[in-house]
Amino acid sequence: MSTPPQGSAEFRPTYVQLLEANQLIQSVGDETYWLCLTRTVQGSKLFPVSAYILLSYLNAFYRYPTLLRKIERQMRAEEIADRSRNMGIKIQNSQLGWALPAFYLLGREWLLAMGMLRPQDALEDILYVMDFWKRFQLSWHRNDGHITNRDYGHRAQIQPDRRLEVFRADMFSCEPGDDLHSAAHAFMATASQYGFLISCESRISLHNSGPYRLDEHHELIVRDFMDLAESSVPWLDGVAEKVPYNNLTVPMSVRDCHFHIVDDWGSFECKPEFTSDRLAAVGLYTSDVLSEGFIPVGMSSRAELTATFQELTGILKEATNRLWARMATWSREQLVDAGALMYYAIIKDLAHVAGVFEVEDWLEIDPRAERFRPLLNDEVADTILGELVGSISLPTQQTSPFGMMQHSNRPSRVLTPLPYSVLAGDDFVPSVGDIVRGSTLLDSKVDRYRTTRGVLTLAEYNRAAREFTPQSCAPPYRYLCETWVKYHARDPRCAELYRLEQIHSRQVKGRGL
Amino acid sequence: MPILDTDSDRYGDSPRSVLTEAAHNGVRDLVRRRWGESGLPWREFVFSAGNQLITKADFAAIERGILDSGYRFRWSSMLSVRDRPAIYQKDESSTSDADFSFDHPDAVTDDSDAARIRCGQGDNVVRRAANIIGTASYIRNSEKVLHLMDKGVPRELIAIIDDSGGTLTAPILEQFHGVVCAGGTVRSHLGILTREYGIPCLMNAKLKGIREGDRIEIETSATAKTTEDYQRGADVVAAVWRLAK
Repeated sequence: MSTPPQGSAEFRPTYVQLLEANQLIQSVGDETYWLCLTRTVQGSKLFPVSAYILLSYLNAFYRYPTLLRKIERQMRAEEIADRSRNMGIKIQNSQLGWALPAFYLLGREWLLAMGMLRPQDALEDILYVMDFWKRFQLSWHRNDGHITNRDYGHRAQIQPDRRLEVFRADMFSCEPGDDLHSAAHAFMATASQYGFLISCESRISLHNSGPYRLDEHHELIVRDFMDLAESSVPWLDGVAEKVPYNNLTVPMSVRDCHFHIVDDWGSFECKPEFTSDRLAAVGLYTSDVLSEGFIPVGMSSRAELTATFQELTGILKEATNRLWARMATWSREQLVDAGALMYYAIIKDLAHVAGVFEVEDWLEIDPRAERFRPLLNDEVADTILGELVGSISLPTQQTSPFGMMQHSNRPSRVLTPLPYSVLAGDDFVPSVGDIVRGSTLLDSKVDRYRTTRGVLTLAEYNRAAREFTPQSCAPPYRYLCETWVKYHARDPRCAELYRLEQIHSRQVKGRGL
Repeated sequence: MPILDTDSDRYGDSPRSVLTEAAHNGVRDLVRRRWGESGLPWREFVFSAGNQLITKADFAAIERGILDSGYRFRWSSMLSVRDRPAIYQKDESSTSDADFSFDHPDAVTDDSDAARIRCGQGDNVVRRAANIIGTASYIRNSEKVLHLMDKGVPRELIAIIDDSGGTLTAPILEQFHGVVCAGGTVRSHLGILTREYGIPCLMNAKLKGIREGDRIEIETSATAKTTEDYQRGADVVAAVWRLAK
């Protein structure tokens, strides 16, 4: 496979490349504003949230182009997306659908506002990152035919029919007050709490996708809890040694509730309000880059699933308390480091899928970003971030007074487009250049990674990832899509495809179609 | 002095905040100065020489310039003010004064009913069958959380919090009888978590006159506030009362 170029002197963009990139940039900007306006007011008295967010944006701007190229030297974006549909790992709508382009471009926007860049600087990088994102998203959303949840009217129907059949068949029904309902409810609350803490007061360790129609009264939401164990989050070393699964996926059947928004942050809105009494059935799975799809956890019986939820709840509560106690001893700058790395490394699982994850790539602050840290006291960071993503009031974000931005009707935009003037001879700098060895104030990552094949060293984990291709992503199955299935119900390969999915199923193992 | 692209902006004027303007002007002045001193064309400066010539010490000097004017920053993380108290405004969250109370100017108050004095309002996260009554306790720093972890969370404790996040109270949140949060929205992390745990909660609360240990009632039977309500600016609130002793 050819190596994608970086900063080549002979690079010349085409008009169509610029047009397409600018459409994608505008789309990300419009959605960023809508999400920030409607979905949350985020704050914390523990974490300096705005400071770490801004630092993460800069780290993303300086590092993503190089690291995405490194990943693609091993595996193309569209193939990673095909594989990722088979796992509940940290490659979801929030990580790839929004954060990848948004973090990168918001870093650029802030640097533009400070006069550190011109709009045409890093042109080749920007075109590459947006093209990577587009290819990934088109592949990730291949079953629903959209590029983002926004594009689908805030909906995410990522999974194929064969997987949804297994989820539906193997879920256990539950009712408010019964043991399973209580255990599942307690687990999800505890895992959500733990997830917010792991991810430094952000929601990136949990994610919802769907909805999928089960029947007239039930919709299915797939909830993923990710990066729970000792893996590539260094502050879980020691704290999460008893957490037996790095990723857990809970398919939930919800009664008489319509999820009318499932957004690119993986959060939802439904009517009427989703409360626990509407939970009608649940399942539990684990998965990662080394697993053949979703592996059931405690799913052989209702009693086992109930006990499993209860046991996991206890383990996660203990890990929450230990992690909180660890974080309470950190300095302010360590909290900033952790938050910035958590945010910046939100796409790190791309490197795990490709088998090229390296600690110095994903768990360090690049010196080009680090130098801005003294500017990031709480109030300056809160104020700048508020203008950058909230009031959209930085001078670089203002447009012609005739402009009417989507959702606000004001003459502004979140993200600055690329100028077409480069085609008329304006000079530009193609790339920020290669990454520079960074630093962190946190303890070094212990060489211990919890996977579905046990606890591995990073070298073992990367090698295993590079050597592994899930059967559903290998010939002849990878391109046997939902349209092909629709018209090939009598083709033996169709039944084989379904049997692959059913291999761990309690109810439909070996059934085929 | 070299001219940056941002110096020729047809539409952009100043950012909304004077603080943003001060910080960004400081960086732009720095870039102009270092670029000019380098004698290099921009394309050789921006991602090459500029990385060495614009340093962490330069950014520290920008912050120092703001502080030299006598300005002290507002803090949002209690760890920030703990680690660098000299640059932040005074921290009042660690006060243990039993007379402390939130004092929001928009809190709706009414003392016409001696048995139940209205002390403010908030946004109800989930509508419940009935109101809840409990004992108010301010939880505003990690020392208080540690104390409750050590001593146990009393029954019927209604936490009065000004942090809309889900991390400060992570080890003890599940044990609260109720939560009243003077910040955020029903979609903030604390709102999401209380909904998950099934804990009655008001967010974005505006309170006045509630002190540590007061018996309070919160109107969790009120209509829950929706995203549409926020977008429409609808006035959908739930009341908070202090009960007579």
